[in-house]
Amino acid sequence: MVEKVPIGYKCLNCGEVHYPKHGRCLQCKHRDFEEVELPSEGSLVTYTILKAPPTGIDKSSLILGIIDLGEVRYTGQLELEPEDVQLGMKLKAVWRKVRVIDGKSVSGFVWTHP
Amino acid sequence: MRDVAIIGVGMGRRWGRYEGSLIEMMAEASLDAIEDADTDQIDALFVANMGAGRINNQTALGSALIDYLNLFPAVGASIENGPASGGTAARIGYMAIASGIHDCVMVTGGEKMRVAPGPVVTDFIATMSHPQAEYIYGITFPALGAMLARIYFNKYGVTSEDLARIAIKNHTNGLKNPHAHIQQKITMEGILTSREAKINNPIIADPLHLYDMCPVTDGAASIIMCSMEKAQEISEKPLIRLAGTGQGMDTMAVHEREDPTFLKAVTHASDQAFSMAELKRENIDFAEVHNAFEILELAELESAGFFERGKAHLAVRNGETEIFGRFPVNPSGGLKARGHPVGATGVAQLCELVWQLRGEAGERQIPNNPKHAYAVNFGGFGNNVVVTILSRV
Repeated sequence: MVEKVPIGYKCLNCGEVHYPKHGRCLQCKHRDFEEVELPSEGSLVTYTILKAPPTGIDKSSLILGIIDLGEVRYTGQLELEPEDVQLGMKLKAVWRKVRVIDGKSVSGFVWTHP
Repeated sequence: MRDVAIIGVGMGRRWGRYEGSLIEMMAEASLDAIEDADTDQIDALFVANMGAGRINNQTALGSALIDYLNLFPAVGASIENGPASGGTAARIGYMAIASGIHDCVMVTGGEKMRVAPGPVVTDFIATMSHPQAEYIYGITFPALGAMLARIYFNKYGVTSEDLARIAIKNHTNGLKNPHAHIQQKITMEGILTSREAKINNPIIADPLHLYDMCPVTDGAASIIMCSMEKAQEISEKPLIRLAGTGQGMDTMAVHEREDPTFLKAVTHASDQAFSMAELKRENIDFAEVHNAFEILELAELESAGFFERGKAHLAVRNGETEIFGRFPVNPSGGLKARGHPVGATGVAQLCELVWQLRGEAGERQIPNNPKHAYAVNFGGFGNNVVVTILSRV
């Protein structure tokens, strides 16, 4: 099985890479994009340890963060011990089930030690 | 364009938990505004609400409120723009009058949130976030506030004590506001430095504590606006002109912003409103800002241009933002103490501005006859922001 890696959307006119997807480029308003693979490792920009997760998350505490991948950033869950989390730390993306929404299991990227 | 005045304001009974229906709650605020304006001759009603379709099983509130209050032949509609619904509805009301389409418009905001359990309310607010890039991960608005606060702490030396100082100031103001949901004196010991503080004020979204966040509140607020010409004819109150309005946008996903601590939409909306009002920042006597989280009180004041970036917390330490300070902020208690029924907040901010500018704010009255006032109503997590400037004529 091939490991899933984070994807960005590169504008075919100006080359700007976006995440998430937009219908028109944030720089030049062009409409055509190609999916590009992004590095699966990045650094932690900010985070929170949420003691009141929303419905569909079966945990009493959830770590959420923003990860800088160079050209774009990702928002996601962190699979770490709370005491191990540090600003600027290196993290790697893994594909996991992240939440149940309307009774359906939804997957996304979870960030952990490389 | 015609000049527009606010001639009536009202908020119904004290905010908190409302036992009746959403429409009854909004009707009470609307009738207070009618009484204050001494007229019910309105041409249109815009109702501001975010979540009634989801948590109260009711939509098309504009039609419902006109029917309930027999405001016929007035026409109306519901305006949904997240937590900026109130400011947006007022802005649309302004446009309707300034353009000459209507002479007199009522704007009523309301949200009945306490019917739903906490996690459901938090999730309904989170539906404003980006569906694929944020929502699926369990992003909540307290989480976004916390991630903003962590960058602020790291970059500018803001501390939990600073946030607690803002909460204490807002609770102090709320104690003097008969409409405020939270009327409770708090102290630094009680919420941060004593042993009991950990129980009184637990961490909700690290580094944010319970008292760094607004409560879940039922509430409504209403204003009546008309052309200045008509206001001069019929109003016996001090005339309050809607001097400036502005609206700004930003990316939906917070992580796409170049600097997540810079609230670009607040800057854009403020610049427009100041330019329209032909006023400078230093002309403003006080402000109501959208402190759903106390960190936003700092970030908005800086992004609006009232303080340098990373410096607003120093003004808080000096007491400058207290009612008797150099630049009072949230004399009403803000979202922290008055409460934050999302659709009502932007309208309630304007009620407070009007009361203060008329000199009718009672115990929380800002001294020296304030003349120009500013309100920022912050929608999404800062991707849709409305600023209003009011001036006493």
